[in-house]
Amino acid sequence: MDTIEAILERAAGVAPEAEVYLSRAESVGAELSRDRVRVGQASHAVGLGIRVFDGGRVGASSTNDPSRWEACLEAALAAMRLADPQPWHGLPAPAELPAGRLAFDPAVTLAPGAVADLLDAMMAGAAEHPSASVTAGSAGLSRSSVEVANSHGLRYADEETHASCSIEAIAGTSTGFEFDASHAADLDPARVGEQAAFFAAHGVGGEALAAGTYDLVLSPLALAELLEAVLVPALVGRNVHAGRSRLAGRVGEEIMDPRLSLYDDPHRPMGPGAAWFDAEGVPTRRLDLVRDGVLAGFAYDLRTAYRFGADPTGSAVRGGYGGAPSTGFHTLVLEGPVADVMANTAIYVRSVVGAHTANTITGDFSVEVSNPSFIEGGAFTTPVRTAMWGGNVFDLLSRVEGVSTETRTVGEMVLPALRVAGQRLVG
Amino acid sequence: MQRYYDVRHVAGESTHIDIDNGVVESASSSLFDRAVVRVLGSSGWGVVSVDNYSGEDLDRFVAEALALAGLTGEAVELAEAPHRVLPVPPPSDDPRSYGLDEKTRLLAGVEATARAPEVRNTRAVYTERRETVRFASSDGVEYAYELARSGFNVLAVAERNGVVQMGYERRHAVNGFPLRSGAACGEKARQTAIALLDARAATGGRMRVVLDPELAGVFAHEAVGHASEGDLVREGNSVLAGRVGERIGAPGLTIVDDPSLPEFGFDPVDAEGVATVRTELVKDGVINAFLHTRETLAAVGTGLAGHARAMPGEVPLVRMSNTFVENGDATYEECLAECGTGMLLIGSRGGQVDPGRGMFQFNAEYGFLVEDGEPGAMVRDVSLSGDILGTLHEVALIANDRRMHQGYCGKGGQSVPVGDGAPHILLSNAVVGGSGHD
Repeated sequence: MDTIEAILERAAGVAPEAEVYLSRAESVGAELSRDRVRVGQASHAVGLGIRVFDGGRVGASSTNDPSRWEACLEAALAAMRLADPQPWHGLPAPAELPAGRLAFDPAVTLAPGAVADLLDAMMAGAAEHPSASVTAGSAGLSRSSVEVANSHGLRYADEETHASCSIEAIAGTSTGFEFDASHAADLDPARVGEQAAFFAAHGVGGEALAAGTYDLVLSPLALAELLEAVLVPALVGRNVHAGRSRLAGRVGEEIMDPRLSLYDDPHRPMGPGAAWFDAEGVPTRRLDLVRDGVLAGFAYDLRTAYRFGADPTGSAVRGGYGGAPSTGFHTLVLEGPVADVMANTAIYVRSVVGAHTANTITGDFSVEVSNPSFIEGGAFTTPVRTAMWGGNVFDLLSRVEGVSTETRTVGEMVLPALRVAGQRLVG
Repeated sequence: MQRYYDVRHVAGESTHIDIDNGVVESASSSLFDRAVVRVLGSSGWGVVSVDNYSGEDLDRFVAEALALAGLTGEAVELAEAPHRVLPVPPPSDDPRSYGLDEKTRLLAGVEATARAPEVRNTRAVYTERRETVRFASSDGVEYAYELARSGFNVLAVAERNGVVQMGYERRHAVNGFPLRSGAACGEKARQTAIALLDARAATGGRMRVVLDPELAGVFAHEAVGHASEGDLVREGNSVLAGRVGERIGAPGLTIVDDPSLPEFGFDPVDAEGVATVRTELVKDGVINAFLHTRETLAAVGTGLAGHARAMPGEVPLVRMSNTFVENGDATYEECLAECGTGMLLIGSRGGQVDPGRGMFQFNAEYGFLVEDGEPGAMVRDVSLSGDILGTLHEVALIANDRRMHQGYCGKGGQSVPVGDGAPHILLSNAVVGGSGHD
């Protein structure tokens, strides 16, 4: 009998329902300091999470020492007794899931040599802009597995691979950074290096900006930072029902430019959170959040769905190894009116500093623009020394000038660049 | 060739209680056990992070780390540094002496005080981590200590006519139990959320501002602390590199990082066995020293080791601990009077810095317009930005009422507890950002 079976068997005597989540991950990586590798790294991680359920009471605990599962089960039972009962309609029963792994590439191997190759290629890319020098960088490869099982006989397993690289460069006091991350062995490290060095080199001698109103092109990165701070939490069911979302009670209303749509697409192969089942064993599905500008719905894990009478959406995720489930997203895709966003004069916003300080409820933000630069005719022209940008995320999305054809994966989102007009900047 | 190794093993228990709108969502504890094995090869480091560590496997992990060190090309040297373990301050009120049910009851009390008719959501979260840290190195340095950190935060969200605002308070302590006297925080969160309903959006621009001790502490942390980190200085990623001895602010401005102070960023010894010490980053207005690990001290010089910190199982990095502006000789009233017309900024919603470019940005929780030296109308959504080398020259007055606040600081994917503090300070020409219009 393995650990999972042993836990479920023991729990069966003390709680009507139980769930076990076991994850393991192996990784190898290295970090650059300037142009040299300073550290090589590996990790061996394991996480065990146990939840028990009785009469709407839920108790959870975790450990990264699976041999201590008995203490972990005891802690989960103690937590269950203290929790307030909430509406609960049971853990999922086993379902037929499609075969095959959505986020696994056998070409991602945990070879230190492969890590060294990624770093070398980034350095070579950065060398295309000799006025910039590399300050730091990293590359990593990992393989992980998860198993979720419950007392209704459900037991699913999945494996995934992950590759990532990032680099920072500086020219004078102008800095640039770039990264790439994927489940597949398809990173483009030379481009990562080249872009970081480009933004550092381009920003040298940035000119002061007159305070005023400008057209902006938000890179997918800058857009992700603002959406992650404000829009993403506003779509989480628990925030909606707890009064922490400006979108509460507005399903069916137009909340964005009618040409914008946002949905979670967990079955997109190699999507950032691609999976057939979520962190509670609920089968995943496409979830429309905003359809043609109209708010279509919110995301729910089991607990929040049951509590608020909503349908579970297969949106449970776990932070870290063995962490308790919460509501999240798998692969959030934003689609909009495609246009040549770079064609006309605008200020390009590569990323913003301070998005996490935005007011998560009202959507108001006041951030500093990183690597601001004028663009004209699709090319970067005069760099701007510094720009403070104050605005509102919801207003920003309510009328857009267009989105780019090319998209990019940032965190759990797949985003285009977005052009907006009439934004107030202070130099 | 293996020149040095060390093992830092942290095991313990964490507790998390979450009460949302009067409902106990969770009240649970979890066990953790993580270690990091570092080996210095003929050039650089090899590092293995491992869950569920047992000393029996040390040789295997040292061999694995040594192989990884073979990837490195940077010649790492370690500076000599004194070893010392400070006594952990005895618990003023030991969280271990309260049961999970008692903590849950106390937190529910805090959450209840945040409620009011216009408050539509209240949430309170308690966190506690007890840990035993064991360290051993090939230099023969060994130590072990136990520490508990506990604290809570409380959020109130108020709404009126579609306007939504929030108030947020937090208290944390080392070997203390701030939850016991937490009710005032719930009240404060409620009052802030309701008062902000009537606040107007701040209008940005250049002006004189008075920062309260919490925000001025974040200012010291963002504007000076990060750029003083030895690893950033070594990478050429700090505007302070090569500027030791240069004047950066007026005489009387002294900014310190001190992990030996029994505040929230306290470490009895650093994460590589080095004695924790007070380092004056800016002394009397002059750039004085950087924060270091043994490695960055050897590479950069100027400063002291003893500033290595790490999350369990993670690589030690140069980190701030308790960062603060020393008291000056002015008073809060003098800061306001000298401000004349400007803004008084209160509390922090976090900040960020790009130390290479020398630009920082952080947000106040709220502020007040100052007219004729008197705080008047309340403003919301207000931020402050500036450049490191210029802004400290704008510090015109430093009061004598320093207070410390607790928070967490992220770097390289690791979050560590920190204390930030300052007295009230007056900036003579600050860049204020806001979404309002004249």
